[in-house]
Amino acid sequence: MGTIAQPVEGLRRPNIASADVQIPAVTDYEQVDREIIATLGFTKKWLLGLGVAVAAMLVGASAWIYQIYWGLGQAGYEPPVMWGVYIITFVFWVGIGHAGTLISAILYLFRAGFRTSIYRAAEAMTVFAVMTAGLFPIIHIGRPWKFFWLIPNPNWRLLWPNFKSPLVWDVFAISTYLTISTTFLYIGLIPDFAVLRDRETNPMRKRIYGILSLGWRNSDREWRHFAKAYLFLAAFSTPLVLSVHSVVSFDFAMSLVPGWHASIFPPYFVAGAIFSGFAMVWTIAIPMRKWFKLEHYITLNHLDATAKVVLFTSLVVGCAYMIEFFIAWYSGVRPEQEFFWYRVFGQWWWAAWIMLLCNMALPMSLWSQKLRRNPTWLWFLSIFINIGMWYERFVIVVPSLSHEFEPWQWGSYTPSWVDMSFLVGSFGWFFMWFLLFVKQMPVMAIMELKEIVVPKRKHAHDGGHH
Amino acid sequence: MSTEAGSGVKRRDFLKILGATGATTAVVGCSSEKVGKLIPYVTSPDNTVAGVSQFYATTCKECATGCGVLAEVRDGRPIKLEGNPEHPVNRGAICATGMSAMQGLYNPDRYRQPMLREGAALSPVTWDRALEVLGQKLGEVKSRGGAGSAVFLNAHETGSFPGFLDQWLSAQGMPAHLSVDTMAPAATISSNRAAYGVAWPSIDFKASALILSFSADFLDAWGHRVPQQLDWADARAQLEGAPKLVYIGARRSLTGLNADQWIPAKPGSEMAICNAILGRGTAAAAATAADVSEATITALVAAVKGAGSKVLALCGMNTPDAVECGTMVAEINKSNGSVGTTIKPAMAHAGYEGIASYLDLVDATERMAAGSVPVAFVRNVNPAHSMPKAAGFAEAFAKVGFKVSFSNMPDETSELCDLVLPDNHWLESWGDAVALAGERSFVQPALEPVFDTRSVGDVLITAARADGTIASRFAQPDYRSWMISNFAGGATAFATALTKATAPGSPVASRGTRNAVAARPATMSAGDGNMFVVVYPSATLGDGAGANKPWLQELPDPVTKIAWQSWVEIHPMTAKEMGVREGEHLTIKTAAGEVTAPAYPYMGVRPDTVAIALGQGHTAYGRFAMNVGVNAYALATNGFDSAGNLALGALKATVTRGEAHSPLVTTEGSARQHGRGIAQAMMAAAISAPEVEVEHHEIAGHVSQEFLPGLKSPVAADAQGEYANPKSKDKGMYNPEHPTKAEARRWAMTIDLARCTGCSACVTACYSENNIPTVGATYQGRALSPATWDERPGANIIKGREMAWIRLERYYEGNTNTENEFSPDFEARFVPMMCQHCGNAPCEPVCPVYATYHSPDGLNVQVYNRCVGTRYCSNNCPYKVRYYNWFGYGEPERRQYAWPEPMHWMLNPDVTVRGKGVMEKCTFCVQRIREGENRARSEERELNADEFTTACAQACPSRAIVFGDAADENWTVAKLAYDRRAYHVFKELNTYTAVVYLKKVNHPAPAASATA
Repeated sequence: MGTIAQPVEGLRRPNIASADVQIPAVTDYEQVDREIIATLGFTKKWLLGLGVAVAAMLVGASAWIYQIYWGLGQAGYEPPVMWGVYIITFVFWVGIGHAGTLISAILYLFRAGFRTSIYRAAEAMTVFAVMTAGLFPIIHIGRPWKFFWLIPNPNWRLLWPNFKSPLVWDVFAISTYLTISTTFLYIGLIPDFAVLRDRETNPMRKRIYGILSLGWRNSDREWRHFAKAYLFLAAFSTPLVLSVHSVVSFDFAMSLVPGWHASIFPPYFVAGAIFSGFAMVWTIAIPMRKWFKLEHYITLNHLDATAKVVLFTSLVVGCAYMIEFFIAWYSGVRPEQEFFWYRVFGQWWWAAWIMLLCNMALPMSLWSQKLRRNPTWLWFLSIFINIGMWYERFVIVVPSLSHEFEPWQWGSYTPSWVDMSFLVGSFGWFFMWFLLFVKQMPVMAIMELKEIVVPKRKHAHDGGHH
Repeated sequence: MSTEAGSGVKRRDFLKILGATGATTAVVGCSSEKVGKLIPYVTSPDNTVAGVSQFYATTCKECATGCGVLAEVRDGRPIKLEGNPEHPVNRGAICATGMSAMQGLYNPDRYRQPMLREGAALSPVTWDRALEVLGQKLGEVKSRGGAGSAVFLNAHETGSFPGFLDQWLSAQGMPAHLSVDTMAPAATISSNRAAYGVAWPSIDFKASALILSFSADFLDAWGHRVPQQLDWADARAQLEGAPKLVYIGARRSLTGLNADQWIPAKPGSEMAICNAILGRGTAAAAATAADVSEATITALVAAVKGAGSKVLALCGMNTPDAVECGTMVAEINKSNGSVGTTIKPAMAHAGYEGIASYLDLVDATERMAAGSVPVAFVRNVNPAHSMPKAAGFAEAFAKVGFKVSFSNMPDETSELCDLVLPDNHWLESWGDAVALAGERSFVQPALEPVFDTRSVGDVLITAARADGTIASRFAQPDYRSWMISNFAGGATAFATALTKATAPGSPVASRGTRNAVAARPATMSAGDGNMFVVVYPSATLGDGAGANKPWLQELPDPVTKIAWQSWVEIHPMTAKEMGVREGEHLTIKTAAGEVTAPAYPYMGVRPDTVAIALGQGHTAYGRFAMNVGVNAYALATNGFDSAGNLALGALKATVTRGEAHSPLVTTEGSARQHGRGIAQAMMAAAISAPEVEVEHHEIAGHVSQEFLPGLKSPVAADAQGEYANPKSKDKGMYNPEHPTKAEARRWAMTIDLARCTGCSACVTACYSENNIPTVGATYQGRALSPATWDERPGANIIKGREMAWIRLERYYEGNTNTENEFSPDFEARFVPMMCQHCGNAPCEPVCPVYATYHSPDGLNVQVYNRCVGTRYCSNNCPYKVRYYNWFGYGEPERRQYAWPEPMHWMLNPDVTVRGKGVMEKCTFCVQRIREGENRARSEERELNADEFTTACAQACPSRAIVFGDAADENWTVAKLAYDRRAYHVFKELNTYTAVVYLKKVNHPAPAASATA
C-alpha cells in the first residue's frame, strides 16, 4: 500500500474527494489497536520535549508572578496602545482552538472522510488552545484577582456584569466553548478508554482507564446511545464554532476604533480561525505522523484534503483584507482612510506585509497538488501561517490603537521581555498539555478508525475486540 | 414552633444573633488590613471640623510677583494652594510654579535638621549645637574685624524681611545683603528705570491695539506672569477689538506662539528694527540686519504708526545691548504717546525693587575668590548652579572662611556650606510681601514646620540676642513679634489684616545700603561659531529652582511638550542639513563651554539658531532634580550689559552632531490635527458677520441634526432626554422629575480657545486636586530585565504613560514643508483636553463590570474599586483621556510610589489614591460638586449659580475654562455653551460631549505686507 503514501514523482494523481479519503494501508482491527496503543509508550525524546515545554511554561508562570507583583507596567504597553501581546496571543490561541471542533463536529456532520485520522488530535489541540487562550484575558487585566467580577455571580450588592460589554460576551463564549469541546472530546474518548482498559496491564492505570471509560461494555445499546450523544454534541458544537470567534471579533468590531469598527469582522475572524487552526493541525500532525509512525493513518490524501481547506480559508481571509481597504476608501471617513494607509505604509508596515505574505501569498502555493502532498512544505507553510496569523492580530490590535482619532495621542508600542515571556509560556503551557495527552490517550480515535477499516477476509476470525 | 413564647430568646432570634456575631467575628478576625489613622488630631482645635477644609490667606513666595494664595488646610496640613480671589494681583488665579510650592514644602529631600560640616560631609546636629557654632564663628569673624567683608546672598523677596535682614547685618557690622533673583528680567528692569523711572510699570494689554514684543515672553517666564496673563486673556477676549501681537525674536516662545505674527529677527538686529520704527534708520537696513523681508519691516513701521497711542512695545532681551535696546523700545512707546495709556509707570509693580545686579554677584564672587570674605551666608540662592560656570562661583565660594546656608533644600550651593540652618518653607513662616506699591500682603504659616527647621528670622534674632553687645537691638523674641511690634495697630490689627491677607502700607523696615559696585563697561565675547544660541529660562522650571518639584518636571514645556529632560531646539531644515533626527544628540559649544542634549526639531526657531532652556542639569537639589538634563548656564560667558546684568543672548556657538540618541520625553503625538477639527479657529472679522446657515449633512444612521441649529449642541442632553431631541419620546436614561434633582442637572464645561494661552497651569492644578501621580522620576521606570530597571528620567513618559487628566494639546496649522523651507507663518492652537463627559459615552458600554457608567447629573463616572483594568474603555475613547495605573504609584511599598514621605501629606483626602491596575480620568472634580451640593443641602438652599468650580477652571490664569450646570441658565457655562464660537470635538461621533470649546479667534498678521 506504499503507493498511496508515496506519490509517484512527476505524475499528477487523480484528485481524491475529501469525503473519500481512506486508510487502505490499515487492514485489520488488531493493527489499529496495536499501532495506536504503541504511541502511548514513554520515550526519552518525549520526556525531553515535555521538559522543554514545562520549562517554557515556567518562564510564563514566573513572568506572571512578577507582573502581578509589580503591575502591568512591566509589559510593553504604551498608551494609547492599551492592548498588546496578551490580547494578540489570546485571539491567536482562540483561533487555533477552532479547527478542532470544526473537524470533529462540522466535518462529522458533513461526513468528510479525511476527518477520521486527525480529529482526535485536533480536538485535543482545541481544548488545550482554549485553555491557553482563556488565561490571557486574566493575564491582561490590571487586577487579575478580581477576574470573577466578569462572571455573573450572586452577591450581596446585586452587582452584575455589564451585558452590553463584548468582554462579558467573551466570557460566556469562551467558557461555553471550553465546556462543550471538553465534553465532546471526552465523550469520543469513552470507547477508546475501554480499549485501553482492556489492554492495560498496570493495575493502577487499568483502574483509571476503567473509571474514565464509565464501565463501557461494548454493548449495542451503548453504541446506539453513544452515536446519538455524539451526533447531538456535534450538532450542538457546530454553531459554537462560528459563534466563538464571532464574539471574539466583537471585542474589536463593537468599538469605534478605526480599523476595528467593521461589520466584516465576524466572518473574517471565523475564516481566519479555521485557517490558523488547520495550520496548527499541520504543525502538530505532520511531525506526529512521522514520529509515531502513523503515516498510513494520516496519508498524503488527508494532508491534501486539509490543504484544500487552508487554501479556501486563505482566500476568504485575503478577500476580507481587501474588503477592509475598500470600505475604508469607500466610507469617506478620513480617520479610517488615514488609518488604512498607515496600516500598510506606516510605522508597522512590515507587520502588515508579513501578514499579507504569510496569509495571502504563500498559501497560494497550495493550488499545486504537488505541494499539497509535500508534508515538509506543508509543515513549513504551517509555521508561516501561524506567524502570519499572529501578525494579523498584531496588525489589528496595535496599529489601530496607536493611530486613533486624536492625533496628539498617537503612539507606539514595543513589547517587553515580560510580554515575550508570556508568549513563550503560552506555547510551553499548550505543548505541556498536548504532550501529556498524547501519552495518556490515543491520538487517533481507535473506534472510528475501526469503522472505516476493511478487514481482510482471511483474518476474519481475528476481528479485533469488538 | 417556639413553645416558650415571651420567655427568653426565641430560636429565630438566637440564630439571628449567632449569625450576626459570627459574621462580625469573621469579618473582624479575617481583616488583613492594618488599622490606619485617618485624623492626625487627638484633640482637634475648636474651629476644626474633620473633613472640612480651612483656607489660610497667605502670599506666594515662589517668584517676585507676590500673588495672594489660599492654603487649603485639612486637619492641620495644607493640601493645596489656590489663588486668592480677593487679591488685587492675581484675582484668584495661580500658576503652575505657585501651586508646586506644595512640593517644596513636603519635599522628601529637604533638610530635616541643622547640618554641620564634619570633614567632607555635612552631618546632622541639634539646633543648640548649630547655633553655638554660628555664634562662635560670628564672634571669631567680628573679633578679627572681618565682618565688613561678609556676604549675605538672599533669595530676592519684597516685604519686611530684606529690611530686617539688613538691620541684623548692620548690627553685626556687616554690609547689606545681596537680593538675588536670577529669573528677574534684569535688563528690562534697568531700561524701565531709565525710561519710566520705575522698575516695572504696569502693562495694560486691554488698552492696546498693537503689541510689539521684542522677546518679551510675558506669557512664559518674563515679568509677573499671572497678572500679565489675566490681562492678556481679558484683552484677547475682546475678540474683534483685541490687541494684535507681533513677536520679534529668533525663537518663538509660548508668547510667540500666541502672537498674530512672528518676525524671526536675527539675534542682535533688534536695535536696527527699533531704529526703523523710530525713523532713525531705513527699513532696508533693518531688514538686512534682521534677515527678514523689507516689506515686513515697512509694514511693521506702518502698523506702529497707525496704532498711535495704542502701541505697546515691550523688550525682554538679555543681550549685551539689551538695556540700550530696551530704552529704544521704550522710546517707541514714548514717541507714540502710549506711556500712560498702554504702559503705566504710575501704577508700578514693586516685586522687582531691590534686586542686586549680576555685577554685584560677580563682585562678591571675585572677593570670595581673592580670599577676602571670611563669612558668607546664602538663603535659597543657588549660584553654584544658576550662574554661568565661567563666573567660577563654586571655586570662589570654597575659599570663603565660613559658609552658612539658610536654604531649605540641599542644593549645589548649600552642599558647599559648612553650616546649614534650614529655614522654614514660606508656608511655615511669617512674613509679608509687596506686590503693588502701597499694598502689603501677608505670609502666615499654614502648618507647624514639617521638619526640625526654624524660620531664618527667628534664628537671626536668637543669634543676635545671644551676643551681648547687640542683644538690646532685638527686643522681640522672634520674627513674628518683631513684625507685629512694627505693625500699625499692633497685634489686633495684625490679626485682622491676616484674615484678608492684604493691608495698605509698605514694608516696615527699609533696606540697608551697600557700597555701590563700580560700573563696568558691557562685556561679552559673543564668541564665534556657525549658529546663534538662545538660552532662555524654562517656563516651568525657571532657571533651576523648580527642578526639585515633580509636578513641574512632569509638566510638559508649553512649547515643546518635553518633560524631565533638556533638549536643543533646532529648525527642521537645519536638522535635515546636518542629518540630525529627533532625539539625536547635538553638542553646542560656545566660548564658555559646551552642553550636549537631544535635538528637538522646532519650526519656531530660526534656521541659524538653536535654543536651549535653563533649569536642568542639577548635581544636587534632591532626587527629582539630580541627573536630569544639562545645565545650559555652561554655555553662558560671564558677560554683562551696560547696567551690569547677565547677558545670555546672542551667543555664537558651534553645533555638532553627537553619536548618541535619547528618545525625547515628550507627550506630543502628532502636532498636526489632520483636518479633524479638534482645535478650531475663526477669523475675528467673521464674528460679527451675518450668521451663515450651517449646511446639514443628513447621514443615514445618524441622529437627526435638526435640533442643532448653529452649535446649540445638546450639552444638556441628560436633563432634556435622549440626545436633547425635544421630539424624542425617549427621555434619556434618567427621569427628569426625580426628586433628587440630580437628573435635572448637566455638569458641563466651556473652554475658550481665544483666551487659552497654553500655559498649562490647569494641568498642575489637576495634579494637586486629584492626587495624580507623577511618573517620570528616575526610580519609577519599568524593569528592562529581571535585574535592571529603566532609570532614565521620564522613562514612563517615553512610554506614553503620563497620568495628566487634563493635557494641553498644541497643534500647528500651516507651514507643512518645514524640512525644506523656513517660514515664520504658522499658527499654534492650544487645546486643553480632558474627559469630555460624553452624554453618549463610548467608554461606558464596553466596560464589563460597570466600573464606568453615567451618573444622573451627566457625569461619566469612574469607580476605581470596581475597575478590573481591562482598559477597553481607553481603547474606545476617541479623546484618549483615560489613564491607567501601570504601577502601584499610590502604594507606599512599591518602588514607583509617587509621594515619598512626607509628600503624601499633600494628598487630597477627598480623592481616592488609585491603586495599580485601575483606570482613572477627569471626574469634573466630582468631590467639589458633591461638597457644594452637600453644603447647599445642609444650609437648606439650592445651589447658587457659579458657586464652585473645578480645580483647572479655578487656577486658569486666562480664565479660559468655565464649569457649571448647563441645564440651569443661571450658570455662566449655560450661556457660553451657546456662544457663536462653540463647537464639540468629534461631533460626528455622536458622543454629545459636555465640554464645549469656543473657537480660537485669529487676526490677520498686523505687519503683513501687501504683497505677502
